[in-house]
Amino acid sequence: MTSPGPAIEWQTALGNAKLCLPPCHVIRDLLSTGVCVRCIFRLSGIHDRDCYISPINESELISVLEEQNEIKCNSTTSTNCCVCLGVLCPSCVVPEKPGADLREISSVNELALLISDMVKGKQYRIDEFSLEVSLPPVITANERALRLYLKQKYEKEQWFKDSFLHDHMSVKDTLKLVLNASLENYLAVQNVETLSSSFRIRLTYSHSETSQKLQSMLPNGHDSKKRERGSRENGSSKNCNVPDASAYRVLELIEDQNFCAQFQVPPGKVDKPCQLVVACYRTPTYIGGRYLKYSRNVSQSRWIIDDERMGETSVEEIIGENVHQICQGDGYKFHSAGREDIDVRMLGSGRPFLVEVSNSRIVPSSTEIEQISDKINHTDKKLVGVKNLKLVGAEAWDLMREGEAEKQKQYAALVWISRPLNVDDVCNLTSLKNMEISQKTPIRVLHRRSPLERSKVIHWMKIEKVEGTTQYFLLHLCTQAGTYIKEFVHGDLGRTHPSIGSILGCRAEILQLDVTDVKMDYFD
Amino acid sequence: MAENAERSEETLYKPSPKSIEREKQAMEEEPKEDLSSLLLPNLNDLPQNPPTAVKFNFSRYFLPDFTKPGHDQYIYRHANGLCVIGLAQAHVALKEEGGVTAVDFNVGKSDRSELKVTGKRKRNAQHFESNSALCKVCTNDNFYIVRCCVKGSLLEVNDRLIKQPGLLNSSADREGYVAIIMPKQGDWLKIKDSLLSYEDYVKLRGLL
Repeated sequence: MTSPGPAIEWQTALGNAKLCLPPCHVIRDLLSTGVCVRCIFRLSGIHDRDCYISPINESELISVLEEQNEIKCNSTTSTNCCVCLGVLCPSCVVPEKPGADLREISSVNELALLISDMVKGKQYRIDEFSLEVSLPPVITANERALRLYLKQKYEKEQWFKDSFLHDHMSVKDTLKLVLNASLENYLAVQNVETLSSSFRIRLTYSHSETSQKLQSMLPNGHDSKKRERGSRENGSSKNCNVPDASAYRVLELIEDQNFCAQFQVPPGKVDKPCQLVVACYRTPTYIGGRYLKYSRNVSQSRWIIDDERMGETSVEEIIGENVHQICQGDGYKFHSAGREDIDVRMLGSGRPFLVEVSNSRIVPSSTEIEQISDKINHTDKKLVGVKNLKLVGAEAWDLMREGEAEKQKQYAALVWISRPLNVDDVCNLTSLKNMEISQKTPIRVLHRRSPLERSKVIHWMKIEKVEGTTQYFLLHLCTQAGTYIKEFVHGDLGRTHPSIGSILGCRAEILQLDVTDVKMDYFD
Repeated sequence: MAENAERSEETLYKPSPKSIEREKQAMEEEPKEDLSSLLLPNLNDLPQNPPTAVKFNFSRYFLPDFTKPGHDQYIYRHANGLCVIGLAQAHVALKEEGGVTAVDFNVGKSDRSELKVTGKRKRNAQHFESNSALCKVCTNDNFYIVRCCVKGSLLEVNDRLIKQPGLLNSSADREGYVAIIMPKQGDWLKIKDSLLSYEDYVKLRGLL
């Protein structure tokens, strides 16, 4: 079958490209070595996408360069590029389903279609994407081998400038250049460069044949230990895989001389193309806000001891499940700026929190976030509420943790003392500003925390009398983060001092505690 | 002072400019009165004498005549397994004229007040048997040995007793506790059934 000549559009592009290309005899040499047309283009520093998507083959390229009118119909070489191993030809094999037969891909269109079909099948709702490409380290070795070959052979020739070696496109960038536009077309969404989209399409290429050759060529170092361990553990495994990172490291460190001694220069031809695995995922989605806890029987996080749940439910589950329903992720994690006991209510401003959803299929719009908020706030039992719910970025986590120790918290405690409250007591307590107290680790947490003596500050206190009683009052106080309030009231057998009891000179007990404010600028 | 409850709330907080702003924000969704009304207790729910922190958080057990007559001790066991050890109300030392005058933790092979337990895993905690000595309690004429009562790791001794031995006279059941021990689940179960409850102890000693 006669192959058609390059169409007019490409011819202009190729015409311009000619200026970057090395002389014809070099191109013939490269082609016969087994380098594909696209690798030749990219090593020459050609950035024009039109050149790469043209289905020009080797003989056509020669014809164009030598300005021959007659086109020799040589069959295209059936072997794959010795440098990119078929990635750019494009040619690869893809397992359609795990364990199923491999399917051959041989055009950009086919590849783009395969990828977009796969993405559509996963039911993500996307408005943009970023392409991630993972290539086997042997391709880097191939490139190096080729460049060393060219240097050895042609460095004395005029056309060979040092810039020839440096001004080139990597295999990854070329592949992305070729694919992104087609994918944008099929997926009907925009591509975002430099991996800044939350939705990632990952193409993982592997080539077992040459990778194994590379492994055996790697100098013995700690790598050999890994291989030994590997083969001891699974002796039947053929692929004792040296991790990519260490392969790249070795390649970086090895000097040209050593490299040439161990690796074939120029790289050898290969029969089979790479295997490609296509996957897609979304980076974690963060939804933050402030929560309120109205119940004294709801723990902050899921609390189960010996298969029995403590408390009715948890803040984590109430908020997390509702977020999860809308986001459809693989799972979620709940983070908050501090926590309160199960029997302590969180009122007032609420406590900042973050829900981290992994691999969410849907990134909620602001309307959908309102829906989540409404759902949580209007359940029958008013156990938990949320405020200022919104989508936030990954930096929110650090912001929340930032300066945790400095955050001040405000509480209201219902206190009973063993004698009637008098005017002096009130003056006494309200006049204490920024009082330092010393707390030994409370007995109730001593089993799981280090036995330490911690110094904390009580910034201020206010007394609110309870009408109809003489020995009860509401103690409002503002303290440093990390202060154990219950122990400050009852003294924890004297292990917290001063305490309300020691200050007033009587016994003090705490009946109820509520958090009324968590002072934090973020999440407001 | 304003009689009106609402007015008194305004003088309650000492608002900083920032919190005034926040209160205003909160008022749109949650008026100040709502918060206060949430905070105020229902008078009917308030007991005349609420349970003490000890009674509320611990299970109280008693060992009358531990190793010797009159040597009554208590174990307060927390839900997390930790045991607070101390002298029970009818301990002979507390009945003597002048009460307790000194406490010395240097008994047995080491000074118990010198131990340094560190970390979540409670490293360097010494393991003791139930009859190991914790300290020596001195009165004007006598001294008495206080023992662990339960086998376990010694987490802490109440070193305040060294400077303030009078704590045993005024509040042996609270601030005058002697030590905190962490027994293994199995060791606790072995002795549990031989212990008296608070009510039984009170009956036995004819207290209250």
